[in-house]
Amino acid sequence: MTGTSVAPDPGTRSGAGGGGRGSPRAVRQGLSEKALGRIFISPSIALMSLVALFPVIWAFVLSLYVYTRRQPEGFGGFDNYVTALTNPRFWDSLQFTFVFTLSSVTLEFVIGMGFALLMNQAFRGRGVTRAAILIPWVIPTVVAAQMWFFMFNVTPGFINTIFGLGNFNWLGQSGTAAFAIIFADVWKTAPFVALLLLAGLQTIPNDVYESGKVDGAGPAARFFHITLPLLKPAILVALLFRTVDALRVYDLPQVMTRGAFDTESLSMLVQQYVVRTPNPGLGAALSTITFVLILGIGIIFVRLLGRDLVIGREEGK
Amino acid sequence: MTAPTPVESTRDPELDPELHGGSSDLRRLNRRRAAQVWGKTALLSVIMVWCLFPFVWLISTSLKQGDRALNSPNLFEGPFGLGNYRAVFEQSFHLNLRNSLMIAGVTTILCVIVGSLCAYAIARLPIKRKILLLSSVLAVSLFPPVALVPPLYELWRTLGLLNTWEGLYIPYTAFTLPLTIFILTTFFAAIPKDLAEAAKIDGATPFQAFYKIIFPLAAPGVFAAAIIIFVLSWNEFLLASTFAPRNPEIAQTVPVAIAGFTGAVEFQRPIGTITAACVVVTIPMIIVALIFQRRIVSGLTAGGVKG
Repeated sequence: MTGTSVAPDPGTRSGAGGGGRGSPRAVRQGLSEKALGRIFISPSIALMSLVALFPVIWAFVLSLYVYTRRQPEGFGGFDNYVTALTNPRFWDSLQFTFVFTLSSVTLEFVIGMGFALLMNQAFRGRGVTRAAILIPWVIPTVVAAQMWFFMFNVTPGFINTIFGLGNFNWLGQSGTAAFAIIFADVWKTAPFVALLLLAGLQTIPNDVYESGKVDGAGPAARFFHITLPLLKPAILVALLFRTVDALRVYDLPQVMTRGAFDTESLSMLVQQYVVRTPNPGLGAALSTITFVLILGIGIIFVRLLGRDLVIGREEGK
Repeated sequence: MTAPTPVESTRDPELDPELHGGSSDLRRLNRRRAAQVWGKTALLSVIMVWCLFPFVWLISTSLKQGDRALNSPNLFEGPFGLGNYRAVFEQSFHLNLRNSLMIAGVTTILCVIVGSLCAYAIARLPIKRKILLLSSVLAVSLFPPVALVPPLYELWRTLGLLNTWEGLYIPYTAFTLPLTIFILTTFFAAIPKDLAEAAKIDGATPFQAFYKIIFPLAAPGVFAAAIIIFVLSWNEFLLASTFAPRNPEIAQTVPVAIAGFTGAVEFQRPIGTITAACVVVTIPMIIVALIFQRRIVSGLTAGGVKG
């Protein structure tokens, strides 16, 4: 047994259950599929838990400590949460975030549905329209924010000029400032919603509509009894992604108003306490609250979606 | 695209009144069709104007010279010139562009490599608890990035990753992975199983089957995913403005620079420079969107909606 007679055999050495050891095929098999599967998913899992999961747990730990000038003072239990929840600024930003989410997602859905229904019909120029619809999506949100900041501005006041509003100060008072931000968001994302819904519409076979027509269903009846139910998965996905995105809004209000006039979002508030007024404990408590809120709402959606989404993907025709 | 125009439809023997003894019913039908086509065209124009008009305004403003022109809401009031663009690059905006390009590029490469391995495993390899795995991936895509800001900020400060490219592309990769995995799983699952089987019978190991046969076939999907990842990381603002707020020489990205342009007088933003910078950032993205329109749409819809 000096090793001269035995050829090296990578197949049996890696050995993780790659089938019959003695068989000639096992020799050439290299890593088994199972082992390969584990190796393939581990970098993703490692990266996502390291950068996403672990910090969330750490944020919770941070949030239990009291800080002065970025230096930990000691364990404070839920003191930071009490401070956060009794801070009127938190409630203001929570209110703005909810108002923003509710109105922008509703408007985006209605407009996006209109666009999608229109684009789902056969006509000339559908390709061009689809390309045009991508443009608001590829424009960086910061660019969109600057653009609408100037358009809503008093000078040059493009919108004021068009609608003859004189010196109406959109971004300088609460209410209209929030409206301007919501409007910018709807402009940027309604086309994206349309795209997602269009993808769903195209999976609905035409014969369903034909038989609906034969049964005497008018356009409205066809929309409510055929389109909406069959489009449910696409609608839920679009609403899920848009709601979660709207709840974490940061760029638009940050650039358009810097949070003035009741337009501070939860994300802006957290960032404020982390970077500008350094209080890691309070910042972490606020970020944990935000996290729980958004994930909670997200989970409700996923529940509504059922296992449909996940299982459908696994079977993945 | 396939819809008959009014002219074509009169040539249609079924509908041509001449061929059917001038039935007025059919003529009315024809007129209704024409009206429908015009109606659709009109509604379509509404979509186009809605999507494109603000951008037209942006370009026209960026080309205007002098205070009076810049402050005039008239799209066509000159004088026009490239002065704003010159001013943008004098503010070392090219360094911001370089940072953004590198950070988004590295994110894209990392994400595609790591994500396609995972997606292939989910789509094709025998692993346990796939549903749990996919649900966790979905959960990560719901994470608010701001939840990571406090701990990562402290960690990055300790590790010296604030104001570095690494400090940005590492979290970007982690955050775009869920979407990448969703998109690519769909594409991998669409490749016929027999191909990998055939490769195995020919003596390829499972890994060889993956990178020699399956991966090249999934190239269109991978490409679509890559464009989407690039666009998303090119546009990211919250983490970029938290972890690398200043210094275009080091890691400040384009969106942070655009948000940070301030005028000589406080509260007054230099509209000419900002709009020019916005155009510089957006034009490449728009070209990408127009050229790869089909791929982006198929990738987005694969990631967003099943089927």
